[in-house]
Amino acid sequence: MRLACQTIGSEELTSTLKPLTATDSHRLGLLTSLDGRQLVALVLDLKGRTAGLVRCELDQCHYSSLTPLIPQAHWFERALKDLFGITPAGHPRLKSNFVPEAFEATLAPLRSAGDRGKLAGEPPRDFRFLRVGGEGVYEVPVGPIHAGVIEPAHFRLSCLGEFICNLELRLGFLHRGVERRLTEVSWPNARFVAEAASSDTAAGNALAHAIAMESLLEVEVSPRARHLRTLALEVERIAMHIADIGGLGVDLGFLGVAAGLSRLRGAAVGLADLLSGSRFMRGYICPGGVTLAEGGRLSQLRAQAQKLRRDVRGFVQMFLDNASVQERLTDTGKVSRGLARDFGLVGVAARASGIAYDARQHFLHGDYPPLAPAPAVERGGDALDRTRVRARELETSFSILEAVLDEEFAGECAVALPQALPANEAACGIVEAFRGELIHLIFTDARGRISRYAIKDPSFNNWTGMAIAARNNLIADFPVANKSFALSYSGHDL
Amino acid sequence: MLKLLFYLIKNGCLTQRKICPSLDEPALGLPRLVPGKNWTEQAARRCAEACPTQAITAGDRGGESPSASPALTLDLGKCIGCMLCLKVCPSGFIVADRSTRTATTRREDLVLSPRSLPGPQEALPQKEAAGGLFGKSISVRVVSTGCSACDLEVAAAFNPIFDAERFGIHLTASPRMADVLLVTGPAGRGMHEPLKRAYEAMPEPRIVIAAGTCAISGGVHAGNYSQADGVGAVLPVDIFIPGCPPHPWSIIHGIMEAMRLPLDRARPGSSLNAP
Ligand code: SF4
Ligand code: SF4
Repeated sequence: MRLACQTIGSEELTSTLKPLTATDSHRLGLLTSLDGRQLVALVLDLKGRTAGLVRCELDQCHYSSLTPLIPQAHWFERALKDLFGITPAGHPRLKSNFVPEAFEATLAPLRSAGDRGKLAGEPPRDFRFLRVGGEGVYEVPVGPIHAGVIEPAHFRLSCLGEFICNLELRLGFLHRGVERRLTEVSWPNARFVAEAASSDTAAGNALAHAIAMESLLEVEVSPRARHLRTLALEVERIAMHIADIGGLGVDLGFLGVAAGLSRLRGAAVGLADLLSGSRFMRGYICPGGVTLAEGGRLSQLRAQAQKLRRDVRGFVQMFLDNASVQERLTDTGKVSRGLARDFGLVGVAARASGIAYDARQHFLHGDYPPLAPAPAVERGGDALDRTRVRARELETSFSILEAVLDEEFAGECAVALPQALPANEAACGIVEAFRGELIHLIFTDARGRISRYAIKDPSFNNWTGMAIAARNNLIADFPVANKSFALSYSGHDL
Repeated sequence: MLKLLFYLIKNGCLTQRKICPSLDEPALGLPRLVPGKNWTEQAARRCAEACPTQAITAGDRGGESPSASPALTLDLGKCIGCMLCLKVCPSGFIVADRSTRTATTRREDLVLSPRSLPGPQEALPQKEAAGGLFGKSISVRVVSTGCSACDLEVAAAFNPIFDAERFGIHLTASPRMADVLLVTGPAGRGMHEPLKRAYEAMPEPRIVIAAGTCAISGGVHAGNYSQADGVGAVLPVDIFIPGCPPHPWSIIHGIMEAMRLPLDRARPGSSLNAP
């Protein structure tokens, strides 16, 4: 949607944002900057189903941190320091989100081209781990290269006996410079870069990108494209929820079900292939619609989805009914509702902790909100509840698939786009990807080029949740807790 | 448990029998040039302009005979398989290639020109693989530096459908036990040191596979400040698997190519100290 902007002075920042983010009806969607000379906050109004920008010019490289009063700003402010060299003075835990090697310590890669290198006397990024003192506390370093076939990150666990006192995350190994690259390529090619932010969420990323671009270009897609996009988004959710439950099965040693689910994930990926010609739906959703006509394959899709639904239901039930699975997952990696709300967790992790937030109910994407399901909410906030949320969402996703397949597919796959983007505009796309709320925010400059492209992956909010969840768990349960969040490393590192 | 058994018995074996088959429509595959066609400069330029990753270059023939330099080259090592070139090509000289036998042992083999011959379409794996140094079995350590779709496809290669284990391919958790370092993703600055350390920890001879367009060339990230220009900038690469992401069969094909490598290609004693 196009975004209106409210400009305020830096002294009003907290007083303006605090009431806007302290209620259940508003969220801080993003807090960032355009080129290092201002702060821009994207505030989501869930009740009003809209979003707006709050902007504040900075004449220095620092401002007084919002985190003490608005904890949702916690991770964003760290990123401001890393990427723009802006110091949030008074931030309670300011340290870099990225490994030192990801880019030079003195570089602020997203500042305007002129002053990227020099940080105007500001202290460079800080990487110190929080040290837990006291007798008998020892540290367990894990990663960056993990034992399985997963993305890299470094975890440092401070433990006392078998218990984890503190988990320090060091991310950023996968920093590729996606956000800056998105301002360098021509806008019709931006979709390929936007997808590669995290290709396990290719449909989600492409959809958020497409919605933002379409609002800038003022085009509306056909009902057919809308339906096909909804199918793509739900097929992705199905495939990844199956993969995440299966992955948990591997970590618990419940290999029969894990192997079964991995072949069902293969079937779900087959649905994606059938729909889009790509197992990850790469390049499928584009601004204006979708790139491939369904060409009579929808009945096949329906039949395969029905069979898959039965099989998945059986396996997931087997998994959840198993006494040792329940025993192992209950109370593992717990996040209370209060903390989940304060830190603004999203998606599966938030709903497992009792927060009824599902972006499908609030923001326009695909056939949502009209077709939006009720959020699958659980109360406990532990690994078991996260799995239950996934299990319930699998069911609703299959129902949505069927509902969409009953619709009439009218109109063309993709509408033609205007040649140029409007000047000095801002728009965002908000999508409920399988991990949760995913935001793409685009600004154009006076010449109608993309001047700033910000991506907020759901994992960006939820890594804080992971760090909270690990505390007071058995160290042996750490992989299980981590897997139950199943966060994206590349989506965070960009 | 019984339920699980019943399900497995009812559904039977889902493992694909045919090894590295070509994909069915609507799978897009990768672009291929129809051999021996005469490209006009204009057509070549149009395709080159359409490509989002500069995988296609329109050659400048400069008045020489057509045989001097190819009118156009298509570098699968940079291609993300978006098929835009196929759509805009006015002469239809670019077609979809749904073969999954896409891995090569030389980087230059990925650069197609109208003169290059189509890749191997015939069956080769398994038996022929037995000839190489790691012909009977091979241990693979996967290091991810990318966007996780490549990793999911590597993981899928070991699921019951593709079942790479039946060819003697094993995943190992430690580089100390690995014959192959299979790297996905563009390997930005943050991963340079971990990659080098993993490589140095491997026993010799050792093989490096770059799986996916990013790993080969950096893909859409090439040239960024993060120096995410592919694995080749950090480690010597022996096998290249194009695709964004490559199909699980292509990944298996790449690993089988590694099994077929003769001893002298498997870089005995190669060290990072002199790259
Ligand atoms: S399919 Fe490959 S070569 Fe063709 S336009 Fe896309 S990236 Fe370029
Ligand atoms: S090649 Fe494609 S799928 Fe693989 S890491 Fe790169 S962008 Fe992701």
